[in-house]
Amino acid sequence: MTAAALSQVLASGLLMGLIYGMIAVGLSLIFGLMDVVNFAHGEFMMLAMYATFGCFVFFHIDPVLALPLVAALMFIFGASVYAGVVRHALRVKVNAGMVQIFATFGLATLMQGAVQFFFTPDYRNIGDSSWLGGKTLELGGIFMPWPQLFGAAVSLIAFGGLFLLMKHTDFGRALEATREDKGAVALVGIDSNRVFALGWGLGAALVGVAGAVLSTFYYIHPQVGAAFGTIAYITVALGGFGSVFGAFAAGIVVGLVEALTAVVLPPAMKSMGIYVLYLAVIFLRPQGLFGRL
Amino acid sequence: MSTMPIVSNFGASPAPSGGPPTQAASDAVRGFGDRRRRQLVIALAIFVLAALSPLFVQNAYLRNVIVLTLMYAALAQAWNILGGYCGQISLGHALYFGVGAYATSKAYVGFGLLPWFGMLGGGLLAAALAVLVGYGCFRLKGHYFSIATIVIAEMGLLIAHNWEWLGAASGIQWPFGADSWATLQFARDKTPYIHFALGLLALTWFICWLIEDSRWGYWWRAVKDNADAAESLGVTVLSSKLAAAAISAFLTAVGGGFYAAFVSYVDPDSVLHFRFSLLIVLPVVLGGIGTLWGPMLGAAILIPLTEFSRSYMGGSGSGLDLMIYGALVMAVALLKPEGLVRLLPAWPWRRKAVAP
Amino acid sequence: MKRRQILLGAGAATVLQGAWNEAMAQGKEVVIGALYPMSGPSAQVGIDARQAFETALEVINNVSPLDLPTAKNAGLARLGGAKVRVVYADHQADPQKGRAEAERLITQENVCAIVGCYHSSVSTTVSATCERYGVPFVCADSSSPTLSAQGLKFFFRTAAHDEMFSQAMFDFMDALKARGQKIGSVGLFYEDTIFGSDSAKVQRKLAAERGYRIACDIKYRNNSPSLTAEVQQIKNANPDVLMPSSYTTDTILLAKTMAELGYRPPNIVAQAAGFVEKPALDAVGDKLVGMISRASFSEDMGEKRPSAKAVNASFKARAGRDLNDQTSRQFSALMVLADAIDRAGTVEPGKIREALAATDIPGDKTIMPWARVKFDAHGQNTFASPVLIQWNKAKFVTVYPFEVATAKVVWPMNG
Repeated sequence: MTAAALSQVLASGLLMGLIYGMIAVGLSLIFGLMDVVNFAHGEFMMLAMYATFGCFVFFHIDPVLALPLVAALMFIFGASVYAGVVRHALRVKVNAGMVQIFATFGLATLMQGAVQFFFTPDYRNIGDSSWLGGKTLELGGIFMPWPQLFGAAVSLIAFGGLFLLMKHTDFGRALEATREDKGAVALVGIDSNRVFALGWGLGAALVGVAGAVLSTFYYIHPQVGAAFGTIAYITVALGGFGSVFGAFAAGIVVGLVEALTAVVLPPAMKSMGIYVLYLAVIFLRPQGLFGRL
Repeated sequence: MSTMPIVSNFGASPAPSGGPPTQAASDAVRGFGDRRRRQLVIALAIFVLAALSPLFVQNAYLRNVIVLTLMYAALAQAWNILGGYCGQISLGHALYFGVGAYATSKAYVGFGLLPWFGMLGGGLLAAALAVLVGYGCFRLKGHYFSIATIVIAEMGLLIAHNWEWLGAASGIQWPFGADSWATLQFARDKTPYIHFALGLLALTWFICWLIEDSRWGYWWRAVKDNADAAESLGVTVLSSKLAAAAISAFLTAVGGGFYAAFVSYVDPDSVLHFRFSLLIVLPVVLGGIGTLWGPMLGAAILIPLTEFSRSYMGGSGSGLDLMIYGALVMAVALLKPEGLVRLLPAWPWRRKAVAP
Repeated sequence: MKRRQILLGAGAATVLQGAWNEAMAQGKEVVIGALYPMSGPSAQVGIDARQAFETALEVINNVSPLDLPTAKNAGLARLGGAKVRVVYADHQADPQKGRAEAERLITQENVCAIVGCYHSSVSTTVSATCERYGVPFVCADSSSPTLSAQGLKFFFRTAAHDEMFSQAMFDFMDALKARGQKIGSVGLFYEDTIFGSDSAKVQRKLAAERGYRIACDIKYRNNSPSLTAEVQQIKNANPDVLMPSSYTTDTILLAKTMAELGYRPPNIVAQAAGFVEKPALDAVGDKLVGMISRASFSEDMGEKRPSAKAVNASFKARAGRDLNDQTSRQFSALMVLADAIDRAGTVEPGKIREALAATDIPGDKTIMPWARVKFDAHGQNTFASPVLIQWNKAKFVTVYPFEVATAKVVWPMNG
């Protein structure tokens, strides 16, 4: 493998990693806030992809413009899922972890069925007629597709925005405080239900942004969330549950490791690199790279 | 010592602390013994009924549903040993299932060994794997543990997909043979499969029944109920947890071997997929985690539901069957978090709550 | 124990026989089972298959001017004009579910034959089940060579298998070499399920036999989130001919990734599947201009097979897309089966098997480029000659065998 080919693999891995990172951040936010693993996270992304597709096909809104709209819709969707499903799961005192896993697993199956019902199980695609579609930037022999460069930029901006939001706004502080101690925040007059709903909205909006970006260069299908969902769980655990920064960083690492494994091992085994990395990290640091015990 | 565990109620509510033994407690001891005997009688009645089911159900398709229901009940109960009683939420049991299925198929098709030996070998292999996994992962907490089990099972799937010796993607097909208990091959007759799956279920159920009243059972419940107890028992409990993992994996692998014989074909996606890990856990969650009857009840409801919804609605390709299935899982998880076992009348199914 | 089982088995057989007799007595309906994925990642295949079968039923059950078997009169003539009905079942790409559904169709729906199953893994268990129940299984579209190598009595495959398909590809390349083209190396790129691995196995063998260097041999995980590293390896190896075996999702991703990485393979000779699916061509057709695929069917078949045009129009009216490699094989499988049932004159599965084994339909009475339909001892139609088709951005044209070609091949593909 030549140096040029290797830098190509690294560049592609980095671009993909930034997208993995954005997907994982949404999941991590929800988990950190209330200890709930959302097994429907991949399906949230799938829904955002269909929303972007719908905007493009029915209203001729380019994915770049549709992005904020999709994020807003997903925010509402995420908050409603909290109010309609997760809120009830949180009330459960017995087997809380399992109930959450399976309530969200049920939701995921329901969403797959619903999307198949309304859109048919055919493969959809936004194609090259969108602004970014099919355009590639070549830098010294390294090819970087514009949709993925755009995705990487959006990912960095979204993460930066989230970071500022959590550090410098009342909402961010309420989020942090609720996460630290649910009982205490109620005493100072913060409605934890509202904070949780906002957290779910935000988490869904983030994965919604990822979905909107992804739909410009990936196929759209009711099952598309599954492949990304599994990677997202591993990424979040690798970064450390509760650390939003950890999830983002781990996303980039996962993207790079996956690309490099495909060079070393037969490509069919490329996920092996991610799995080995997870086990290696978790044996040395049971709380993940940036997690708190 | 012997009165301690009786008061714990599924690990759901904290055990009342301290207090001298009372009259109520010694009554409870007597009631406890009675209840244990009644459980055996009821289980026996259920198993006999299931064994006779082929007399009432002639239809091959329905018999197939019975086989699957019994098999998933057994697998769910096997998972329950580790996940329910022991509290180690494994989402990677597909690995043990797949190891059993592949060991049995390879031994039979590759080396001409009867499936019975293959199952035994696969079971032991899976048990060894489970001890290894447990040794490495039991110190991981909560989701870190669950995701580690997913990752390890996915590695197994990848390896099977790329290992030519195991047929890689093409899998292993069992040859045609005469109907025989030795090779576990029956061309049309489902009755022997019903009886095998039932035997496995009865075995796993009985092991759980033993565990409920064993030292292990008390330890695990104590650990679940009381964090301080967990600290002091932690070291002692590890070996019993490893044993639980080994037993659970062994039984799951035997189930896998049975499945391979039943389908007469294995390929990576049909025995090692993550989907299987969820399918094994789902009946436990629906029925009731860490309970004696929950996995059976969960399987009895879930498996026929899955089969019928696919058979009678899936043909349309509309996705409606998925919607109904998903909504039901969600509804049960939210409305009956303790599991459907709570819907049964208190006596004799459930542990009697003792007034403090 | 043994005796009881035999008795039970005999009992079941009597029940089945009774059901068939009953169906016979009614003389109104012939029921055939179709097993396809109706949910999950390949659900669209099942939905399209349904349209293909309904198109075939229209020809079978009504008076049709087309020159196809069973078309002339309504229903099946020798069964008193009995109408054919297809019962659909979902196997979700799971071999166990496929087997269970096959048993349900046989014992509950009393089907007299089964058609299916797309996934080779499911066809494996379904063919075994049909064998055990003595019900014919007409394999429409699973192309794994192992299926017809098991010596099953009730297995029939109307279309070609991967070995025949790959042979045609290498014959084609040999022919090009004889015409002075330089083809030194091939690149294998295949997904990791039974379809891809079987296809690559045959291609590897043929390449060695016929003196082509294998520049790269890449097995990849299907439905992967990205194929960048894989494409990078193809690009480095730069084979003269890229030979991919991929389903729809991966085809889309492969074509996109190749374009993104600025890689234009000199030639692509594909093992159909994703490369002839409409969603893939809609998405990335412009990136695949000049791509050659093996096929059982192409739209320009109308020139040679008069019925093909009408059948295609009828299918398009239902499904909103043209017949392709898959749907044309599904249509043809049902036609061949209906013809056999008609000749058997009964819905008794054993008789239908005999009729299938005696099938001999000349190629011009099908919509396919096949020489004829005639099964060998393994139930394989050895006359299912494949063709190679080339994508010219608007449609596929047949380019090989040269005798039936409707257009001259463009080689290398980028002109």
